[in-house]
Amino acid sequence: MPGRRGLIAAASLLGLALLWAWATSPFGPVSPERFPSPPLVGAAFLQIATTGFAGATLPRQVLTSLGLVIEGFLVAASSGTALGLAMGWNRRFAAFVNPVFQLLRPIPPLAWIPLVILWLGLGNAAKVLVIWFAAFVPAVINAETGVREIPGALLEAARMLGTPRHRLLVEVVVPAAAPMIFTGLRLCLQATWTTLVAAELVGSFYGLGHVLSEAQQDIYPGMIFVGMAAIGVCGWLTTAVLGWVERRLLGWHASARPAHA
Amino acid sequence: MSAIVFAGARRVYDLPSRRVVALESFDLSIAEKEFVVIVGPSGCGKTTCLRLAAGFDFPSSGEVNVGGQKVTGPGPDRAVVFQHFALFPWKTVHDNIALGLRNAGVPAAERERRIESALKLMNLESAARAFPHQLSGGMQQRVAIARATVLDPAVLLMDEPFGALDAQTRVVMQEELVRLARVNPRTVLFITHSVEEAIYLADRVVVMTRAPGRIKEIIAVKALREQEGWDTLPKIEDVMDQPSFVQLRTHVWRSLRDEQVPSE
Ligand SMILES: Nc1ncnc2c1ncn2[C@@H]1O[C@H](COP(=O)(O)OP(=O)(O)OP(=O)(O)O)[C@@H](O)[C@H]1O
Ligand SMILES: [Mg+2]
Repeated sequence: MPGRRGLIAAASLLGLALLWAWATSPFGPVSPERFPSPPLVGAAFLQIATTGFAGATLPRQVLTSLGLVIEGFLVAASSGTALGLAMGWNRRFAAFVNPVFQLLRPIPPLAWIPLVILWLGLGNAAKVLVIWFAAFVPAVINAETGVREIPGALLEAARMLGTPRHRLLVEVVVPAAAPMIFTGLRLCLQATWTTLVAAELVGSFYGLGHVLSEAQQDIYPGMIFVGMAAIGVCGWLTTAVLGWVERRLLGWHASARPAHA
Repeated sequence: MSAIVFAGARRVYDLPSRRVVALESFDLSIAEKEFVVIVGPSGCGKTTCLRLAAGFDFPSSGEVNVGGQKVTGPGPDRAVVFQHFALFPWKTVHDNIALGLRNAGVPAAERERRIESALKLMNLESAARAFPHQLSGGMQQRVAIARATVLDPAVLLMDEPFGALDAQTRVVMQEELVRLARVNPRTVLFITHSVEEAIYLADRVVVMTRAPGRIKEIIAVKALREQEGWDTLPKIEDVMDQPSFVQLRTHVWRSLRDEQVPSE
């Protein structure tokens, strides 16, 4: 029942807000100078919404980051899924790519920044590349697993029905792996948002990551909170959009789930 | 000309720990439009044999020919009904059945006509837009059969197609299959664990030994069936009551019984 679930979610958020208001109030244990109280955050929000902060007002900061996230997500998701599908389909290709992949994986995206600037300068491409290093990994792994786990009988059935080899990808491989691919896409989107701040360290004029960096330099906890909250809300919104797309495309799967549970 | 010929087919699996002989010197010629049923203890190589004919797997030595040609891979001339259906869960019943026809380049109007008649034949008209997971096991099995027969294949390969069905549905499907087979005979290789099912459906029953699987005995049923007029009886239980049927059943039972691995 979505109504009840919504109610519980609202109660959880409200509880958190009340706890926060109490803890940072004169009666609470936390000093508002270390942990901004709701009025301080409210003031910071008002500032960025009206006069602006770090070069622009909130809508521009949000749209800049949203654009970067969408761009980074599309690049990472498409390249990662394609690579993962190829690795899942062709064992030899996987064996060839895997060593490099395993070597690159543990390197934090932040560590790439100096090189990325050297290669691509300070533009958007550099930021997208920083995001890509973090976000393409889950897309690869999940797409690969998805293909590996396709029941052999489904591929045999398709071939028995005369499906030409080059059509197997669209007829069987992608739809059969789609639930895992979408798991990868959700993690990919998450990684895109969590890498945003790092990406916007690369010569940014606007953006929520840029807001956070500036607020950090100004030692402005209220504004740091506003930046974090904005990222949280935007991340949640984009995840909801992706979930909607998934439900539209994988109706057959979502409703198949209870039978297996 | 024989439709399916196994000539000394042998299939060995080399596992890291041991070597499994799944099929040993398997010689069998199935005539055109003949219905052959294989019975044998679990793990004796029945599925292996069917997979060789389907072209999913190849013999380690010996040969498998279908229609006079060496089997080099799967194809729509040899439709397979899988033990666990293997329906595409993301496709509706209609689209599952349509795939083979689309691959064959059948024009849309003709395609729809054939799908419709396949659905009608399998009593699935109301389920055309449903997804496989929304159907009962019996309905899923009928979709798998419709998907295979809609292509009008020369050869039909069925691996325990009724194994997952409840007794009532199973009987209905068996009667249905017999009706289809007598109206529109085609070459069928059918695997089952049920002796009754084997005798009821088959022109010939092949009994296999326990692993490594060889042919133990081949029992001709067709002549007896025609002589005793089983096909004139509409219900399977009437056929199974015939003394001739009972006698044959006992014979196959004994033959199989000898092959059961003694329990430890
Ligand atoms: N891919 C494989 N790798 C290794 N061994 C296999 C493989 N496929 C089958 N076998 C072995 O070959 C033997 C015959 O298997 P097969 O599936 O043909 O038996 P079956 O007669 O169909 O059994 P059941 O009645 O239980 O379905 C078994 O011992 C099995 O373990
Ligand atoms: Mg088997």
